[in-house]
Amino acid sequence: MRTILKITAILYDDLVRTLREPHDFAAERVAFLKCRPALSAMSLLLLAGGVHHVEDGDYVDDPSAGATIGRSALRKALQTAYAEAVSMVHVHLHEHRGRPGFSRTDLRENALFVPDFWNVQPGLPHGAVVFSFDSSVGQCWIPGSTIPACMEVAIVGSPMRCTWKAARD
Amino acid sequence: MTDKLNLERQSFLGADSEIVLGRTKAALVGLGGGGSHVAQQLAHIGVGSFLPIDPDCMEDTNLNRLVGGAMEDVKLRTPKVDIAERIIKAVNPAAEVVKRQASWTEVTAELRDVDVIFACVDSISCRSELEVFARRFLIPLIDIGMDVHESSDEFSISGQVMLSLPGKPCMRCMGLVTDEALAKEAAKYGAAGGKPQVIWPNGTLASIAVGFFMRLVTPWETRKATPVLLEYDGDLQTVSPSNKLSYLPAHCKHFDSLNDLGDPFWNSDALAVA
Repeated sequence: MRTILKITAILYDDLVRTLREPHDFAAERVAFLKCRPALSAMSLLLLAGGVHHVEDGDYVDDPSAGATIGRSALRKALQTAYAEAVSMVHVHLHEHRGRPGFSRTDLRENALFVPDFWNVQPGLPHGAVVFSFDSSVGQCWIPGSTIPACMEVAIVGSPMRCTWKAARD
Repeated sequence: MTDKLNLERQSFLGADSEIVLGRTKAALVGLGGGGSHVAQQLAHIGVGSFLPIDPDCMEDTNLNRLVGGAMEDVKLRTPKVDIAERIIKAVNPAAEVVKRQASWTEVTAELRDVDVIFACVDSISCRSELEVFARRFLIPLIDIGMDVHESSDEFSISGQVMLSLPGKPCMRCMGLVTDEALAKEAAKYGAAGGKPQVIWPNGTLASIAVGFFMRLVTPWETRKATPVLLEYDGDLQTVSPSNKLSYLPAHCKHFDSLNDLGDPFWNSDALAVA
């Protein structure tokens, strides 16, 4: 079974614009995509319908990482997942072209905090994605499995983006 | 000589266009006058995967416009999806064709997997329902509509092709689906006689629809914004951007809620089965 995050080009462009906004001390920004899941014949789909932004004051000044968010940021994201009954996908952007990769810190932190969303939405898949300017990689934690699955990304617009790039990588 | 399509003459679509097209899955909902044209063109272009859907079989009244349909198919009452498969495979034997002789509402799990849906259906209610589905699963939908009207003892041919992209204006935004039109259609439900249909307007509209598709999948240029609603005047033989485009909102207000997305009956137990 493939796992695919689908996002409209409108929402994606808006997301990237906000992720690129400078912060007082954090080198990069993060956000969460609010998604609703669906199963198709071949795939698990996460359909993005909105962005949960991390407020400026919720970043922690930590020179060892591009962006570190505090407990309050995570608490607010958990609250959104609970109140809006959504799957949450943590996103950040690596400002280059070509296939990006999760850093070791990303992988370690993803494994720690993404499954936390099951405390508030145990029946929903949650995940993390890192975008570059023209590609992406993602991980998805599917209920019932402790090992994350690879998640592809499809940006639905004219032209369609990333799905094809990911397929070529 | 191999069975592989030689797409050298369309290499201007991009160095990897052949790979991209080969990995693209298109659903064709309705395989009559419009859908059969689209199926044929997509096969020639090199689309790799097809989901043709139509519950009907070939009848003698289809022979004036169903591309690939033959008198023998009328006699045998060949399913339209079989004719579509025959056309596609004749051009590209490597294409994957998963045909469904059913209403699209019976194969929604498979329809969720496609990259683009072509709506080649007759009724306003059906195209409206398909669009609701496509928006729910963030699938671009390309709709073809054609009509022959009688006025003052003469006939007029008109039609339109619309690209419905999730997040962008929908059929309701564009006035193609209205409550009045749906009510009027419902009132006529069951009225005897089929709508007049002919092959050449269908061919024009289908070609434009395939052009929309190509701009989505392997655009040959990206500087010009494509109008998402083109209107066909079959009497003047012209196609032009709709005047409605100048009044459209930038974003659709009819499908802008999280509740419009995903499986409304999501149950994580289904994951175990999957």
